[in-house]
Amino acid sequence: MNDDKLLLKKDYLTAFLRQLNKDYRLIVPQKNRHGDTLFSPAVDIDSLRLDLANQPQNSIKQFMLPQREVLFTYESGSGGDYRFHAAGSPDEPTIYFGVRPCDLSALLYMDVIFLHDAADPHYLQKREHSVIIGLNCKQPFEKCFCNATGNGPFLEFGADLQFTDLGDCFLVEPGRAKGEEIIRKWPQFFSPAADEDINRQYQSFLEAKDGFSRLVHVDQAVKRLRDGEVAEAVWQDLSLRCQDCGGCAYVCPTCTCFTISDYPLNDSEGERVRTWDACTFAGFTALAGGHNPVNHKQAAIRQRFMHKLKFDVEKHGRPSCVGCGRCVDICFGGTDIVRFINKACEGI
Amino acid sequence: MPEVKPLYLPLPAKIEDIIIENSQVKTFVLSFTDREYGRLFTFEPGQFMMLSVLHHGEAPISIASSPAQSGTLRLSVRRAGKLTTALLELEKGAVVGLRGPYGKAFAMREFAHKDLLFVAGGIGLAPLRSVIESCLTERERYGEITILFGSRTPSDLAFRQDIDNWRRQPGVRCMLTVDQGEPGWQENIGLVTTLFDEARISPAHTALVCGPPLMIRAVLAELSRRGLRDENIITTMERHMKCGVGVCRHCHLDDKLVCVDGPVFNLAQLRDMEVMELS
Ligand SMILES: Cc1cc2nc3c(=O)[nH]c(=O)nc-3n(C[C@H](O)[C@H](O)[C@H](O)COP(=O)(O)OP(=O)(O)OC[C@H]3O[C@@H](n4cnc5c(N)ncnc54)[C@H](O)[C@@H]3O)c2cc1C
Ligand code: SF4
Ligand code: FES
Repeated sequence: MNDDKLLLKKDYLTAFLRQLNKDYRLIVPQKNRHGDTLFSPAVDIDSLRLDLANQPQNSIKQFMLPQREVLFTYESGSGGDYRFHAAGSPDEPTIYFGVRPCDLSALLYMDVIFLHDAADPHYLQKREHSVIIGLNCKQPFEKCFCNATGNGPFLEFGADLQFTDLGDCFLVEPGRAKGEEIIRKWPQFFSPAADEDINRQYQSFLEAKDGFSRLVHVDQAVKRLRDGEVAEAVWQDLSLRCQDCGGCAYVCPTCTCFTISDYPLNDSEGERVRTWDACTFAGFTALAGGHNPVNHKQAAIRQRFMHKLKFDVEKHGRPSCVGCGRCVDICFGGTDIVRFINKACEGI
Repeated sequence: MPEVKPLYLPLPAKIEDIIIENSQVKTFVLSFTDREYGRLFTFEPGQFMMLSVLHHGEAPISIASSPAQSGTLRLSVRRAGKLTTALLELEKGAVVGLRGPYGKAFAMREFAHKDLLFVAGGIGLAPLRSVIESCLTERERYGEITILFGSRTPSDLAFRQDIDNWRRQPGVRCMLTVDQGEPGWQENIGLVTTLFDEARISPAHTALVCGPPLMIRAVLAELSRRGLRDENIITTMERHMKCGVGVCRHCHLDDKLVCVDGPVFNLAQLRDMEVMELS
């Protein structure tokens, strides 16, 4: 017997999501009218275009750390006063459904950055109200390499409920209290899983593990960076090719750099806004007066890869690239992380 | 889940007084409008505040006063761009936003009974002023104090009131230099390092250095050459900053973040990193 493991028939999925949507805001991968798959809020379950077959182009970073987020409104009164008022997001319990191991690992990484390293109230507010329903990857996508970053294609922790596609049903594994609560609330959708179902999950894992179409030597690159063996020419070549578009940072589920700026609404009021930023931008490190401690031509991409593959390994014990492959798709300068890793490993 | 502090919330602070240091630098004496908050507010020399000016966002500014000076906070600011220009136009009674203090401070405890050498260029004296003023409130705790201060020209010389005051203190020497002299200038002309012989710098000195990158590079090299240990050569690093609390990553310096791992670093730490100021 597997007390805590359950089955959810695929025939019940729509009904299950409909129930969830009554009590929660529901964010799921949906195909939009252009045919792109994106995590987006489910408005009406009957017109839902749920897409669990493709990788969402965005990650749930978009909701935890919105691309544009008002942190404060401010005002200056007649007496020369000047005050800030926190602009919180609504405390709406939100379920993120269909979060794959890469994006789930990225979320756990964001937790470390925003809750452990600093206690960011704006992130915490959204995170506290989130319920994560993970989905293991039974068939890795073409650009994926989470096997090499060590966080996929299956993940056993981190989600509130973890789903595995077994063909006609999902195996459902409760991970955290919030997941158990959902099962308690709507037991009618679930039936106990048998040993045979666990075997099927294991078979599916083995197939997925062998299903990667590329071999990315993340470990080798990490080692060469640690040992200072990556040639200066590698940084320079790739930095010169970087088009300064920031696309990699925007699609990356673990790129969390941001900037904060004021947007005046009128003479005496305005908003203080946090927006995504990218360490690859020339202006990211520029000081007043034009001085820049980073030589952009030679090192535009250096911080990005050093941070993901060296500094975070030293600090957190693992690289902060989760192998989702999104930057590979988006980078037209040819300076995505896979190309960096390949170059860094050349001659081995 | 960790306790939530209002991480990025600036609190209103009133400009109580303004000291015009030169055409580009003013010192603002500030107090939090929430008196109780101001009374409980503590910091250590070397730390900085994130300063908000209406519609202009925030800038990191070192605290120039001593923690012993309770109730008010001094920030000395040089006109550099938009925010600082707007700030310099504000008058007494105006309100700015402050959050902090942030960053690693100077390790004051390690300075006890040491001969201290302060080397500053221009606005770089601001964070060192906090240390100097702290030392002066407990004068007997520290050895000889030597202050070397460089400016572009005599008219650019900021912190004159402070210099006059320091020169009256026992066991304090304060030597000035400018890049370009003007008629009537009686003191040194040349890089701040040209004062080193007269200042009788010895390997026993603990040096605190703050100024523009080129000055820092020259001074650190010369202090090293004169036998000071890397651990006893201490400086501050300037980087672009947005959050001040180690998340936005604007202030990256190799594997460190200047806002939380710095801005105070000793030369031994800097040598372990790739630092533009040293190369
Ligand atoms: C730890 C620390 C302590 C500092 N202490 C002082 C001080 O005591 N007195 C003083 O006059 N100056 C100090 N500075 C420098 C001061 O922060 C900049 O001169 C100021 O941010 C320039 O802002 P601006 O809007 O006037 O310039 P602009 O050129 O108009 O804007 C520069 C842009 O870069 C951002 N920025 C963030 N950090 C910096 C930075 N460090 N330098 C330049 N731009 C930055 C600004 O927010 C703005 O968006 C310090 C800097 C640091 C890092
Ligand atoms: S660096 Fe690229 S592959 Fe790695 S997590 Fe970010 S977007 Fe995905
Ligand atoms: S200023 Fe944001 S990390 Fe240092």
